[in-house]
Amino acid sequence: MTKGLQMKEVTMIYGEGSNQMKALDHVSLSVEPGEFAAVVGPSGSGKSTFLSIAGAMLKASEGEVRLNGNLISTLTEKQLSTIRLKEIGFIMQSSNLVPYLHVLDQLLVVKRMSGTINKEDQQFAMKLLEELGLGQKLRKFPEELSGGEKQRTAIARALMNDPNLILADEPTASLDTKRAHEVVSLMAQEVKSRQKAAIMVTHDERMLAYCDKVYRMNDGILTLAATS
Amino acid sequence: MFLAVKELMHSKLKFLMIIIIFVLIAWLVFILSGLGNGLSTLAASTFKNMKADYVIFEEGSQSSMSKSLLSGQRVPEAEKLPNVDVAAPMGSTMATAMKGESSKNEDKVDIAIIGILPGSFLEPNVLEGQPLSPNNPTGVVVNTSLKDEGFKLRDTFQLDGTTESLTIIGFVENETYNHVASVFTPIDQWRKIAFAAPGSDKGLAEPVNAIMLQGKNIDAAEISNKLSGTDTVTRSEAVQGMPGYKEENGTILMMLAFLLAISAFVLGVFFYVITMQKTNQFGIMKAIGASNKFLSKTIVSQVFVLSVTSILVGILLTYGTAAIMPKGMPFKLETSLVVTYSIILLVIAMLSSLVSVRKITKIDPLKALGRVE
Repeated sequence: MTKGLQMKEVTMIYGEGSNQMKALDHVSLSVEPGEFAAVVGPSGSGKSTFLSIAGAMLKASEGEVRLNGNLISTLTEKQLSTIRLKEIGFIMQSSNLVPYLHVLDQLLVVKRMSGTINKEDQQFAMKLLEELGLGQKLRKFPEELSGGEKQRTAIARALMNDPNLILADEPTASLDTKRAHEVVSLMAQEVKSRQKAAIMVTHDERMLAYCDKVYRMNDGILTLAATS
Repeated sequence: MFLAVKELMHSKLKFLMIIIIFVLIAWLVFILSGLGNGLSTLAASTFKNMKADYVIFEEGSQSSMSKSLLSGQRVPEAEKLPNVDVAAPMGSTMATAMKGESSKNEDKVDIAIIGILPGSFLEPNVLEGQPLSPNNPTGVVVNTSLKDEGFKLRDTFQLDGTTESLTIIGFVENETYNHVASVFTPIDQWRKIAFAAPGSDKGLAEPVNAIMLQGKNIDAAEISNKLSGTDTVTRSEAVQGMPGYKEENGTILMMLAFLLAISAFVLGVFFYVITMQKTNQFGIMKAIGASNKFLSKTIVSQVFVLSVTSILVGILLTYGTAAIMPKGMPFKLETSLVVTYSIILLVIAMLSSLVSVRKITKIDPLKALGRVE
C-alpha cells in the first residue's frame, strides 16, 4: 500500500460544450510522507483547482486521486467531509481562523467536529502550540495575534487531527519576509518530524528552498521543475 | 453547543440586541394572552366554572342564555334521559345594584343575577359567609369583586328599577358573567326579578333560561330529539354562544396569531442574516472537515439558548407587569397558558432557524480558498 497522495491523469473541465475550459490537463503527481512539495504558477493556471481536488473539496472530471492508498475521487459529499477532517490538514491564506475562539480552542474545535474531546487531546494541542512557539498565546483571540502567529496557529490546527496530508494555500501571502521564512521553515520542520505528505501552493519563490520538489503549473499542465 | 456558546460570549452586543427583540415579542405575547384570558374569564367564568357538561336551551336560541326560555318543569324530565346523571335549572339576568337610595355614580354597580336551585351542583363553594338557602329567598352569594365596590357581608342592596332588595350572605371567588360580578340567588327570587313584567315569562310554568346537565357520556343529539323544542350543546359551546364572547376572543386570538407569525419572520430573518455573515467562516470550517450536521447543530443550539433566555426574561417581565397592573384591568395569567405560549415561541424560533440550517448545507467549502468567484 502506498502512502501519501497520488494523483493520476487528473483532468478537470469546467463548463459545457463550446464553453469548455480545461483547468487541469492530465495532472499526475505523487507526494510521499515526509515530502514537502511546492506548486508554483501564475494566477489562473489551475492551482486552486488542483488544491481543491487534492483537498477533497472538488471532484475531478477524470482521473484518480488516492490518499493513503484509498481512492477518494469516487466518494460522496459526506465521506469527503470525513476525509477532510481525518486525513487532511488545511493551512489557508491568512485570517482563516474562527474569530471567536482563542488559540487553544481553534485546535480543539477540530477534535469536537469528530466527537468529544478528552484530556489527551487537550495536552496534545498544548504541546503542538508549544512547539510552534505559541505557548504564551493559548488564550488569545485571533484579533490579538500577529500575522505570523495566526499562520502558526493554522499550522497547529492542520496538525491537530494527525492527518496524512498537509495542504497549504499561499500561507505567506500576507506576511513580511522574516515572518514568511519563519512560518514556512516551521512547516517544513513539522512535515519532516511528523512524516506528513505536504503540498504548498505559492507565488512566493523565496520559499521554494524549503521544499523537496517544485512543480510548475501552467495552463492546467503540471511539470516537475526541480528536485532537491 | 461549544461553538454556539463561545460565539455568544464573544459577540455579546450582537446577540444582546436579538435577545432584546425576542424578549419584547415574548413579553407582548404573554401580556396579550393574559389579557385574552382575563377578558374571557370576566365574560364567562361563572359559566366555565360550573360543574356542568351539557346545557339544554330552547330550540332556536343559538346557545344563548338571553335568547332561551324553558319551563322548569322539564328538569325532572331531562334528568330521566339516558346518561344524564343530574339536571339543574339556571337563569340569568343583568341588573344594577344600588347602595341604599343613593344617586351617586359610584353607588350603582352592574351585576349579573344568576338564579340556581340552592344546594344544586351549580352552586359555587362559598369562601366567606353562608351558602344559599331556600328559606332565605333574598339572601344572595356574590363575587368577591363587589367587596372592592364597598359591599360587605350582610349588606342589603336595592335593585335599580325594581322593588326588590337582596342581602349578601356569602362571598364566592372568580365568578363573573358578561364582564360583571355574578350574584347567585335562589331561582324563585330570580324569577321574581326577571319576570316582573306580566307576560314576560311567555306563560311558562316555573320559567328558566337553561337546564344544565351532568353526565360524561351524554349524546347531545339524542337529548335534543327526545326533549321536544330544545337544543342541547356542550358547556363550551354554550360559552361560545354568549353575546360578544366569540368576537372578543377572536380579536385577541387574531392579534396573537399575527404577532406569532410576525415573530417567526423577524426571528427567521435575524438568524438568516447572522448566518449569511458567517458564510465564509462556515466555508472554512467545512474545508477543515466540519460536517453539515456539526454546523447545523451549532446554529440550532445557539437559537435554542437565545430563545430560552429571551422567553424566560419575557416571563419575568410579564409577571412584573402583572404585579403593577391596575386592579380593574382584566388580566389573568395562568401557568398553563404561559407554558403553552413559551413552547409555541420556542418552536417558532427553532423552525425559523431551519432556514439558516438549509443555507449552511449549501455552503461550498471551496469558499475557504477565497478565490472562487
